[in-house]
Amino acid sequence: MVLKIFFPQCCNRADSGLLVGRWVPGFDSVVVLAVIHYPFIPGQVKKYLSEMQSAIQLELTVLGSWSMPKDGQEGMDSFLKDLSTIFPQGRWLQLSRELGKRGFACQVIGRDAAVPPRGQPKEGGDDEKEKVIFIHYDQRKVMLSHLHPAHGQEPAAEGVSELRLVFQTVAQSQPLFFLDKYDDGPIKLTHWQSEGREASILVELIKQASVPMCCVLLRATGVRVTGSWRVLNMWPVRFVSSKLSTCVQLSHRTEHLQTISSPRRAQQHADFMRKANIFVSFLVDIALGLLLISWLYRENRIGRLANTLVPVADHVAKELQELLQWLMGAPAGLKMNRALDQVLGRFFLYHIHLWISYIHLLSPFIEMILWYVGLSACLGLTFALSVVSDIVALLTFHIYCFYVYGARIYCLKIYGLSSLWRLFRGKKWNVLRQRVDSCSYDLDQLFIGTLLFTILLFLLPTTALYYLVFTLLRLGVVLLQGFIHLMIDIINSFPLFAGGLRLFRPYRLAEGVKFKVLCEEPGMSLHLMMEINPLKLSTAVQQYRIPTYSCYPKDSWAALCKKLFVGDLIYPWTPLHKGSKED
Amino acid sequence: MLNVTKLNRKRKKTDNATWRESGAPHWLKSDKDKGRRHGGAGRLRTLPTASVGAMGADGGSEAAPATPWRKVLYERQPFPDNYVDSRFLEELRRNVGVRRYRYCAVAREAGLVAQQVSCVAAVLTLWSYMAQGRLSPFMLLGASLLCALLGYVLYEALGGPRGSERTRWADLQSAAIFLAFTFGFSPILKTLTESVSTDTVYAMSAVMLLAHLVSFPYAQPSPPGSLSLNAALFGSVCLASRLPGALHAFAMLTCALLVFALWPCLLHRLRNRAPWTFPWAAVLLSLAAVTGLATLSLGGALLLVLALLALTLLCPLLLLRLQRHKDNIHGPWDEAEIHEDLSRFLH
Repeated sequence: MVLKIFFPQCCNRADSGLLVGRWVPGFDSVVVLAVIHYPFIPGQVKKYLSEMQSAIQLELTVLGSWSMPKDGQEGMDSFLKDLSTIFPQGRWLQLSRELGKRGFACQVIGRDAAVPPRGQPKEGGDDEKEKVIFIHYDQRKVMLSHLHPAHGQEPAAEGVSELRLVFQTVAQSQPLFFLDKYDDGPIKLTHWQSEGREASILVELIKQASVPMCCVLLRATGVRVTGSWRVLNMWPVRFVSSKLSTCVQLSHRTEHLQTISSPRRAQQHADFMRKANIFVSFLVDIALGLLLISWLYRENRIGRLANTLVPVADHVAKELQELLQWLMGAPAGLKMNRALDQVLGRFFLYHIHLWISYIHLLSPFIEMILWYVGLSACLGLTFALSVVSDIVALLTFHIYCFYVYGARIYCLKIYGLSSLWRLFRGKKWNVLRQRVDSCSYDLDQLFIGTLLFTILLFLLPTTALYYLVFTLLRLGVVLLQGFIHLMIDIINSFPLFAGGLRLFRPYRLAEGVKFKVLCEEPGMSLHLMMEINPLKLSTAVQQYRIPTYSCYPKDSWAALCKKLFVGDLIYPWTPLHKGSKED
Repeated sequence: MLNVTKLNRKRKKTDNATWRESGAPHWLKSDKDKGRRHGGAGRLRTLPTASVGAMGADGGSEAAPATPWRKVLYERQPFPDNYVDSRFLEELRRNVGVRRYRYCAVAREAGLVAQQVSCVAAVLTLWSYMAQGRLSPFMLLGASLLCALLGYVLYEALGGPRGSERTRWADLQSAAIFLAFTFGFSPILKTLTESVSTDTVYAMSAVMLLAHLVSFPYAQPSPPGSLSLNAALFGSVCLASRLPGALHAFAMLTCALLVFALWPCLLHRLRNRAPWTFPWAAVLLSLAAVTGLATLSLGGALLLVLALLALTLLCPLLLLRLQRHKDNIHGPWDEAEIHEDLSRFLH
């Protein structure tokens, strides 16, 4: 059996004293947390330990004794052995180190018998000696780091492995490290913070101010969200606001604010990371937005933008009109049914005419609208992008309308054709059995069915062409909007805090540990140095992504093609319902 | 007889050589076998069901078992498992249910096919006249309506059971729906195939009319088959869209509907009620079609005459000649057919 002793680096040069730590349950290892120096009163030590135990919820015990004799301090061996009777343990460790030597000497005294010290040469055939391995660790780093589950493991399996228990022990023993050597107490400890705790005034001020600010923010966002404004709950307003991406982004950010401004501290590491990520992304967003505003409101850029907007809309409308004229002729040499062609073409032309009149009606107000809308960029770059996406949607509303008309006509035609084709063959769709059955029709049904079938069949190329053209246009607009949404999504969900932490403090996100051999002398125990293996950057980013209202298309390519062929309307960018957002 | 001989020959090869001496059934013995007289062979010969296949039976020197062979496998018998005796295939029957046709009857029934072909030819003739402008649509419309009325009167006069749900009022409604729909859609129909080339239209119509002829329910034309009626109407619509005016299209469609949808019902009733009129009607129709086609093109008329003659006179002859080669075998291995009237279980 190999006994692993996790020894903090800061205690390598500590004065002699008692070792305080924890036996890792279920494994043959022990974590040394601190050294209590002489002189001490055993009763006070025990009281202190029991206080710490109730604060930390870990079984802290006195593990053994540590002796690093300085000049003039000899002959402490018997004193140290007597200590083991004061603090009765299952196993008592006696570690000693000499100045100038690298290795430690270790004696493990069990309850029953003494194990001979390791310093002596090995006697042959003695199996009762315990091998001891010293693993040195950097206490501050291990305390601050969080061990992530290995790749492929579920988080539920946490807490089982030995390494995880060690990390948890050190992380949970934070109150143990509050006593430093300048405190006037009965007990003197050595640990990583015993030289004195660092603090900064700014950090303390922010911590004090954050609680009331959080409460204020919570109150503000709560009022808006609980919907004390009845008008916001009416159906038309809700419908419109679910389609405009600005409103969606607004509600998303409000939720984020609520998460940040909860006055309780985050208990879990994942919650803490989430809050930090949201906060940092918020700040970056607002900074970029302010940058955009400072660029936009200079040199009358808003005015120039407004002046180009109306001509652009006119240009789009003119292009559409030319397209329709082309379709009404003989497009690409295809032969269309002239009458239907004229009807559809004139209908769409009239639509475009209406739309252009509307834009011209609005043109005097556009500059003012843009000015006020541009101010909303101070809420963040994502808002500015959402506003752009909404403007694009509004400007191309007529394309959307045409697409819907074309798709509906085409869908009806395809549906009618498939049903009448079945009638042509004398069959019928059996809804109960979900299959095609034979059916004997009446004479009038047959007659009218055949007539309609012929008509629909010969009018199919015309309708199909209109549908194709408008679907392509609509897909183009959708692609543009999708690109903008992708940018918004990236800004929303990228975990900047986690990325920064991985780059500048890599030990905080640990994936595992690696060991370096410090001292391997024959006859002495093995000394290893434990170093933290940080998480890979890609894994860190993937794990700490902020969940957003994911706007990704939910249809696979095959389903999309089928929908296009049949004439179903495609809605690729509907935001998910709020209730299904994962938390 | 031939088959049985073949079987026996095969069996002979697989069994022992000794079987040949004494074992063949008596009705298959060749002359040289008849000459052999062995000890036990006499007994074998007189018993047609005797056990002649005993393995190792050696020229009748052994006594043949007295038990006859039974056609069961669940008892151990001294015969090999694949043994069959002289009663093999005696339950085979040939051509039991085959009807012997008579030429006159077949020719009469073939008249129905010929008559349908002439209907199609008649419709094509009328269409051609209207396309050339020689026939005014009003005249065609009037004539069609008159024929429809006459046909309806004849239908009612022949009497017979009518479906319980078809009243005169329902018939009038159907007629009104037909006329209204056709009239309403005729402007659309006129421009339907404007952009399609003429050859395509002709090809489509030809295919559709052919499909109509092939899938027509000659056995029972009264409820018209879906595919045949639809194909005929599709073809007529294609042709009607080539006519110069909307009224032409309307008239053409009415005529097509009359010929393809209503005439078979009347014909069916004629055949059932007054069978002696049926051949006359067929002949009359064929003559009319031939004459009409002749005014357009003589070559077409000649082709039509040849086709009709072939259908009516040649094909029945072929059928009768081929009947001789019919060879159906029946036996107890066929599926059982229920011949008694099971409707008594319904009550």
